[in-house]
Amino acid sequence: MIEIEELRKSYNGRPALDGFSLLVEEGELFGLVGPNGAGKTTLIKILSTLLPADGGRARIAGHDVAAEPRAVRPLVGYLSDVPGLYQDMRVSEFLEFFADAFRLPRGRKRPAVERALERAGLIERRSAFVEELSLGLKQRLLLAKTLLHEPRVLLLDEPATGLDPLARIDLRGQLKTLNREGVTILISSHILSDLEDICSRVALIAAGRNAADAEGRSVLTLQAVESPRVSCDIEVVGDAAAAAQAVEHFGGARLVEQAGNRLRVELTGSSERAAALLQHLVRAGIAVLRFDSRGPGLEERYREAFRGQRP
Amino acid sequence: MNPMIRKELRQRMRERRGWVLPSLYLLVLTGAVALAYFFKTQDLFGFGGLSEPQGAEVGVTVFLTVAFTQLGLLLLLAPVFSAGAITIEKEQRTLAGLLTSLLTSADIWWGKFVASLLFLSLLLVSALPVLGLTFALGGVGWRELSLATLCTLVILASMCAVGLYCSSYFRRSVHATAVSYAVVIALSVLTFVVTLLATWYWQQEAGPMKTREEAPDYLGYPLLLNPFVTVAMVFVRTEEGYPTWALSLKLFAALGCLAAAFALRNLERGGEQV
Repeated sequence: MIEIEELRKSYNGRPALDGFSLLVEEGELFGLVGPNGAGKTTLIKILSTLLPADGGRARIAGHDVAAEPRAVRPLVGYLSDVPGLYQDMRVSEFLEFFADAFRLPRGRKRPAVERALERAGLIERRSAFVEELSLGLKQRLLLAKTLLHEPRVLLLDEPATGLDPLARIDLRGQLKTLNREGVTILISSHILSDLEDICSRVALIAAGRNAADAEGRSVLTLQAVESPRVSCDIEVVGDAAAAAQAVEHFGGARLVEQAGNRLRVELTGSSERAAALLQHLVRAGIAVLRFDSRGPGLEERYREAFRGQRP
Repeated sequence: MNPMIRKELRQRMRERRGWVLPSLYLLVLTGAVALAYFFKTQDLFGFGGLSEPQGAEVGVTVFLTVAFTQLGLLLLLAPVFSAGAITIEKEQRTLAGLLTSLLTSADIWWGKFVASLLFLSLLLVSALPVLGLTFALGGVGWRELSLATLCTLVILASMCAVGLYCSSYFRRSVHATAVSYAVVIALSVLTFVVTLLATWYWQQEAGPMKTREEAPDYLGYPLLLNPFVTVAMVFVRTEEGYPTWALSLKLFAALGCLAAAFALRNLERGGEQV
């Protein structure tokens, strides 16, 4: 659905995108992570036809975003990182204006506005001025406006910035629902736990190029795929020294941390190896109180990829 | 109807200035009529009887005073309405939403232009009864009233286009407004000063026997772009050749078209500024 090949863009000679490539399949909820200045916003602006690229190619549903912007715009819903609202308009006027701006025919306009009001939970407040809404409601209104023309692709640049936890949960729910309805979503966010919760895959970007994690992958699959590494948090009764010794004799295991009666162990292999480690500890006579195993989370993989750079 | 026009007019008429400005504007014009009439008809310095003004003279004086006051006020207001029109979309981060919709740059420009010009036209039309008062005094007819209004309208359209160009170029309203005012001042004052200096220099060079009337025509060319001279030229009837006011209007129209073309180009590249 979204094909990006060797995309390049510079601002005053400084590259913001330097040969970035990506392929997002139809119906995916795809995340984009990278440090500040990595080129995420520039990429999304190019895809939304706001910015021309200096080189490379970007296509949405087969249409080149640079050569056919008028064909791309009806397919795309774009929400910028700091989106603006007309504060002095009423909620319904705001939606009607954008329905007109997207050239919705008269017969489709009224139902589209009603659906957007319903989606945003603003039916009761349709006559309120936009400035009277809370930040969370404004974000809902913006998302509803972005969906007025029923785009097939959503491009969201940091949509959760500034939202309180409840509004973030609400936004995640809305995005999951949209994705289930078949909308392809490309979302950039600094909130890795949000991406981990909703995205099927995440691309890493740094200095305008595809970045890679410790295993050399630039696109990380987050759901329903076994990881080649497992991290185990173990709590034992009494001193953990004996447990640490037993771990060292287990093939593929590496003791990462030991504090009191707790151990953190990294295992090469799948979750079966974690089960085998547990058996090994029990056979060695260790009284295991707690044993949690999990694949490396997005945060961990992000740290590995960017070595502590801030997202 | 272009959705931009509807949006702009709705927002504009919701602002307090939507009703405050027309009220103040009419008050100032009424004051100008009263002062012009008073100064023209009263003998303030005690030399009464020497040159009692004729009704037609009073009519023309009052008409020109009101027309110039009106033009001055509208020239001051044109940058307020046009120079902030696009920058405000940048400042409140709404331009991206417009540029990624199916509105073209021309739709956006046209919406902003019509909304700015319509408000100024509302002020212009609301002052027509005040200008029409001069019919009672004589010296002024439908021709002068129509042409002065037409000239004012074309000049304002041109200034709105210049304001919109500045608005499309700058990120901040304050910068766009300042440069728009600079253009208004350059056309209204600088053209006059340049012509005066050029004529004075020519007189110095030509010698004391030469009068201003003998100065070559090209010295007055800058005045073709002076809004006040353009309106005053409505009273100059030329027996042959092209009327000066018409030539001025063509120049203002050309200036406006040029500003519009550059503003559209800037809007096409507007994504850089959002």
